[in-house]
Amino acid sequence: MATDSSSSVSDRIVSRGTVEDPIFEITETSVTYDDGETCVLEDVTVSIDRHEILGIVGESGSGKSMFASALLDAIPDPGVLSGDIRYHPPDGPPVDLLELTDEERRQFRWEEVSMVFQGAMSSFNPTMKIGAHFEETLKAHDKHVSEGLEFARELLENLYLEPERVLDAYPHELSGGMQQRALIALSMVLDPAVLVMDEPTAALDLLMQRSILTLLDRLQRTYDLTIVFITHDLPLVASLADRMAIIYAFQFAEIGPRDEIIGNAAHPYTRALLNATPNVDAPLDEMQPIEGEGPAPVSVPSGCRFEPRCPLATEECRTTDPPLAAVDRDRTSHRSACHHPATAREEIRLNFDEANDELESASPVEPSESAVETRAEQTSETPLLSLDDVAVHFTEEQGLTERFTKDPTVVRAVDGVSLDIHEQDLVCLLGESGCGKTTLGKTLIGLQRPTDGSIEYRGQDIWEAKDGDGEIPYDEIRSALQIIHQDPGSALNPNRRIADILSESLRHTHPNIGRNERRRRMHSLLERIGMAPADEFLDRYPHQLSGGEKQRVALARALLMNPDAILADEAISAVDVSLRIEIMDLMLELQSEFETSFLFVSHDLSNARYFAEHGDGRIAVMYLGEIVEIGSAERLIHDPRHPYTEVLRWATPDLELDSMGAGDPPLREVDVPDPIDPPSGCRFHTRCPVAREACREQRPNLRRIDEGDGKAACFREDPNHEYWDSDPLDGAVEQPEEFAGD
Amino acid sequence: MNYYLKRTAQIPLTILAVATLTFGLIRLLPGGPFTQLRLELLQQGVPAEQVDTRIEALQNIRPDAPLWQQYLDYLIGVAQLDLGQSISLNEPVIDVLARSLPWTVFLVVTSTILMFVVGVVIGALQAYWEGSRFDRLTSGGSIFLMSVPYYIFAVIFLFILAFQLQLFPTGNAVDRGVDASLSLAYFSSVLHHAALPILAFTISGIGSTALNMRGNGIQVLGKEYVEVARLRGLSNNRIATRYVARNAILPMYTGLLLLIGFRLGGTVVLEEIFSYPGLGYYMIQAVNANDYPLMMGCFLVITVTLVVGVYIADLTYGLIDPRISAGDSDEY
Repeated sequence: MATDSSSSVSDRIVSRGTVEDPIFEITETSVTYDDGETCVLEDVTVSIDRHEILGIVGESGSGKSMFASALLDAIPDPGVLSGDIRYHPPDGPPVDLLELTDEERRQFRWEEVSMVFQGAMSSFNPTMKIGAHFEETLKAHDKHVSEGLEFARELLENLYLEPERVLDAYPHELSGGMQQRALIALSMVLDPAVLVMDEPTAALDLLMQRSILTLLDRLQRTYDLTIVFITHDLPLVASLADRMAIIYAFQFAEIGPRDEIIGNAAHPYTRALLNATPNVDAPLDEMQPIEGEGPAPVSVPSGCRFEPRCPLATEECRTTDPPLAAVDRDRTSHRSACHHPATAREEIRLNFDEANDELESASPVEPSESAVETRAEQTSETPLLSLDDVAVHFTEEQGLTERFTKDPTVVRAVDGVSLDIHEQDLVCLLGESGCGKTTLGKTLIGLQRPTDGSIEYRGQDIWEAKDGDGEIPYDEIRSALQIIHQDPGSALNPNRRIADILSESLRHTHPNIGRNERRRRMHSLLERIGMAPADEFLDRYPHQLSGGEKQRVALARALLMNPDAILADEAISAVDVSLRIEIMDLMLELQSEFETSFLFVSHDLSNARYFAEHGDGRIAVMYLGEIVEIGSAERLIHDPRHPYTEVLRWATPDLELDSMGAGDPPLREVDVPDPIDPPSGCRFHTRCPVAREACREQRPNLRRIDEGDGKAACFREDPNHEYWDSDPLDGAVEQPEEFAGD
Repeated sequence: MNYYLKRTAQIPLTILAVATLTFGLIRLLPGGPFTQLRLELLQQGVPAEQVDTRIEALQNIRPDAPLWQQYLDYLIGVAQLDLGQSISLNEPVIDVLARSLPWTVFLVVTSTILMFVVGVVIGALQAYWEGSRFDRLTSGGSIFLMSVPYYIFAVIFLFILAFQLQLFPTGNAVDRGVDASLSLAYFSSVLHHAALPILAFTISGIGSTALNMRGNGIQVLGKEYVEVARLRGLSNNRIATRYVARNAILPMYTGLLLLIGFRLGGTVVLEEIFSYPGLGYYMIQAVNANDYPLMMGCFLVITVTLVVGVYIADLTYGLIDPRISAGDSDEY
């Protein structure tokens, strides 16, 4: 079986609804609360194959976490687990999970099946070192501690971590990605057969998510694991899974081999989910949100659960709950709970399929590229905002002992960035967490004072104006530059009505208008941003609004200031995935109406791309406080010049079956270097797959690239650079020319 | 500037401010500080022209000098630990303080630690059995204890246990005739005398500590790391001590040191009720006798202890909670 698991996906596709060599057989299993009143997992019957990776996708509140907990018989109190869960150990007779005694269950957990939770930070005891967690786990299961720790070190090393450093650290001393990997090692320290992962990467940024996924893939092969991977992010798990299951309203809606689910889904919900995913390759107009919300456990529809949201629902769907049955008679591995799988396949077209055909021509984006070009050319005009060699360094607080032993540590959040923002411009700052994109954004709108360099607003230094000597008064600059925060919930005063929140900015911009006039203006703006009936919304408090509505109010508040530029700091990350496109569209429409510039900070290339492409903007890729590449979205996606942009491009999940699961990350190191002590030369050289000796010593500047718009800071753009003659660094590709080709 | 340096520099500044305030406030009192002393001296038959010199000799302060001069003299005295001469007791203030402070510290530290331990245990049990009958009853009890001031308990205990049942003495710190030595008799006498004040002072604080611990405990019990620890098969004992108790008690640690400081001031009434010869007892005496130097000395000692307590709490919290030094604690 061990060899089997490393072979290709298709070999493992099973022939029946029940798999050949199951490790878990789950039969009619339910989880109920309130004495059976509330059902959060209903009559689930599914088998999990040995050594497979099963990806389970569902919206929040669909019962997917309950399924994960059920596999360990760890339903949170006072939930009741009923049904039949049979576990087949690698050797020995099958175990009925619900019949285990307390001691047997204690041993079963972690030794046979273990679990990785979403928040690694909250999964470690904050007052204990990481190593102590490993030790106590080994002790609790009567294992040999030093042998176990040896195995733990091996695991950590396989996860690209330094074992000694990690074991000797407190949880908070590690970055989010490191913690999550340490948690994976902790869950594997007793060498379990099954790993259940509940949203293990949701709190991390894309690049780290993808890196962890590749590592998981490797671990699965090395240690013959069975992995159950639960997530809300369909494209993410699609690259990893052998089989995929879609969970909707506490039941499996569809289950089947990965390629079948992605390419030939039979349930309308799956198809809608596929179409709602922001996708680098899909034509933008085709992305559609799914209308409505999943049902609450108390109000599950009597017929098909998806019927109220389903565009194809018939009378039969309203009355009869479809069973999870084989889609085609000859291929029983693919099962779907829908009465009309054939209609679904016909009626709901998958947009990324069409994308592949259209991409070749690439015609729809041609005009935007030239627009970017022209805008960039308008250098004669004074830019709205102009950064000149700006640096922002933070000095860290020190502890009592460090005070006497070390120099103060300086975090170089932003280092030597020059950037011009024009009137009605649109720039997306893109990068991993901790790359300084938010700091740069805040510097751009004059919220963060640069420690070096200058920032000018229409030719006037903002910080000189603040100190009182400027031609443009500081108040004017201040109100011209606005911000929308990531979390609208904490950006709106919870004790004030929407009307009060909005009128604050109106009072500032139009001090002379009366109360009725103010209300009229707010009313029309709310209607404009799609919040009708506006009168009702005006009298509400922020907590009475949904996340998307709150973000709209925050946007309206910024717009009422009549700003010249708005910084949207991860402004859509807190909004539900299906609503993101709507909000982004709204922001783009309002940009032209209100004639403002937008600065959009994001860690997600597909969001940034959507924004930049629709708004004729540029994307600036940041790495460790520097801009490494800047250009139009179209050029960046299809012709990335900087290796880091290429990495980000790789990390952005897509649904193309051919490219799926292809290869290791184009990176030599998973973790971002410490911004306190950034690498010499090109800061990316420690992770760059094509780095050479020259990169270690010299620092590349942004230079205009040939045959395309924008700039990139990489020696590879200069055909005459000594880079081409120097030796590749440890682990880097020998022939960088080949790398550029793929 | 560095946090610890800043924090250390704040201490002398705070003490200076306190000394200034005591100095100023007492000058504002009717009668002025040395009217009493002057009267006494005159009654003793000291010639009127020598009175000022005598006062100066006793108190380091020239009553006829301008205010700023007096202020400076006072500060210099404080810096040299010379707080003047007590008028009513006729001995240096510093001696009185040295004699009484240990008793007060003994009362406060013992009762606060007792209160903390008992409160934490009760609160932890409440958190484990959240919603149970025990939880409801003790919550009610805690709120009752919180709302009744400690001196009510003190008076009740004194009346019933000391006067009616005569189980405990009604005053003093040790029996007369028992000498200060390491003997058993001395210690039992000390405990016997301190029992009631400590009991009264402890019982009133248990309520808030228990409720605090209950809240923290419930919060920590709901944390994911406790769930993960359970799944990892750790013993309940280990989870209770290393995971729940430790993380629940940590945020209360700063509060504990602060509390010791605050309760030091609270002993004034307590010691008066039990006639316990501690700092508070002498302070009341000083107020009654218009003994300004002693009063100022007592004020100063109480505030300095509070300031130092807060300082120690601030400095050591980083050592106890590994997250603080990184500046990202999410507790409280």
